[in-house]
Amino acid sequence: MSSHLSSSAAAPLEDENLFPEILLRLPPQPSSLPRASLVCKRWCRLASNPSFLRHFRIHHRRSPPLLGCLVQDPDGISFLPTSEPLNRLPPGRFSLQFLLSNGFTLHDCRHGLVLMSDQMRRQFVVWDPVTGDQHRLPIPPGFDPRTTRINGAVLRAAGDVKHFQLVFVAAYNHGVAAAAACLYSSETGVWGNIVSTPIPFESDRGSALYQMFTFGTISTEPAVLVGDSIYWILANCSSGILEFNFEMQRLAAIRVPHLYRDHFKLIKADSGGLGLLHISDFTMQVCNYDGVASWRLGRTIELDKLLPLNPYKDNIMLGAFAEENNMVFLWTLNGLYAIHLQSLEVKKLPETTNISHYYPFESVNTTGRVLL
Amino acid sequence: MATREAGKKMIMLKSPDGMEFEVEEAVAMESQTIRKMIEDDCADTAILIPNINSKILSRVIEYCNKHVPTTGATGAAASDTVAPAALAEDLKIWDAEFIKVNRATRFDLIQAASYLNIKGLLDLTSQTTIDTISDNSLEEIRSFLSTKNDYLPEEEQTIRRENQWAFQ
Repeated sequence: MSSHLSSSAAAPLEDENLFPEILLRLPPQPSSLPRASLVCKRWCRLASNPSFLRHFRIHHRRSPPLLGCLVQDPDGISFLPTSEPLNRLPPGRFSLQFLLSNGFTLHDCRHGLVLMSDQMRRQFVVWDPVTGDQHRLPIPPGFDPRTTRINGAVLRAAGDVKHFQLVFVAAYNHGVAAAAACLYSSETGVWGNIVSTPIPFESDRGSALYQMFTFGTISTEPAVLVGDSIYWILANCSSGILEFNFEMQRLAAIRVPHLYRDHFKLIKADSGGLGLLHISDFTMQVCNYDGVASWRLGRTIELDKLLPLNPYKDNIMLGAFAEENNMVFLWTLNGLYAIHLQSLEVKKLPETTNISHYYPFESVNTTGRVLL
Repeated sequence: MATREAGKKMIMLKSPDGMEFEVEEAVAMESQTIRKMIEDDCADTAILIPNINSKILSRVIEYCNKHVPTTGATGAAASDTVAPAALAEDLKIWDAEFIKVNRATRFDLIQAASYLNIKGLLDLTSQTTIDTISDNSLEEIRSFLSTKNDYLPEEEQTIRRENQWAFQ
């Protein structure tokens, strides 16, 4: 490679104004800046300059790498790095100590932010693991997380790197099962109006006795953001999807095809709209929502051609969807895999024993800096 | 915005080596620097573009011509028949061909894109530059920059130790 490099090409890198512009385009992988720092002191100074780091995060904010997963288990919340070895952050990279003793519940990760609830204090906690920033706000009054199933989603509006938005959702039953949602903006610091919708009830689900004591509710799984809407899966005596539309501030329930109503995951479809994934045997089916009322069959992905499966014993389970990297996690007897839904590239993830509650964390890490 | 078919407003760009380029105003306004001059009414007759020779300026205009949004007078997208994804893919292929230039030209294009404030061109030229070096070893990057390793061995060790995971 070195023979292709000539010193004349280095000139823009020596120009004080253009140099930061060019280094901004280093790949957003965690090892980029630490490696660039070793070139010389001038590069190191730039790669540890807070203003440059801020621009680096802004520049790559819509193409963040999958750094790993936040994992919720009975002991608390931990970070499981999943990148390839050279970019694999040590598990201790983010200061998780404050999480351990607090009994937080994880709800969502998006745009580099983590959403948790502190149910004892009836608060939401929005945390940026890279900068360490924490923001606490009360759960909307009238909803007790100890008796009501709550969930939420966190996001930043396009182009906004300072403020965040939080959508709160809750399921309740005052005679009729319903869901309510409310939008918070850190810019205004207030919750908006509560909007609600009935949750469709499926009379064929569960025994009559079961139905007397339970009702449709919101799954604990993280939401998926597609276009102007955010979606959660409905659970228990309902099977469907809950949609909150930002533009119209409207909440609605969407039915899913009968065939898929158990064990499906939400994804962003190839068309850019909402899609769902369903696994039957070793085949993964993509189904696309038309945005109005109907679902259309999309691609099928033959998993036995992509993964080392045991044809007699394997039972594949769908895991989380990393929306900015378009990857879905799959559990097999052989361990955890991530499949890129477009390229179908497969990545084996680190061994782990705990199947549930993985929240993909996609962000531009700039904590590896060294100050000279 | 002026249509490309009729009534389009033209403006004159002049390079310091005396060449003149007549371009559509919409094309020239891909440059935020020129846009500001036009909006501030500083561009009645011709705009002199300092520091950018005619060879580079003609390439820059070629880029802007390709990237100017093709909207008609009604504001409707002229690309109704072409899917946006296909259009984006076409531009990507075109960009890849456009940037197949020698390094000196690419450097001139970076400076021009920076001075004229053309974000897409600055992205393309800067990204290509970083891509050509980021796969190289440290020694190769230093020789490319004609830079010496100015770290003391213990300083280099500190950086490696602090970020051991990135160098394994």
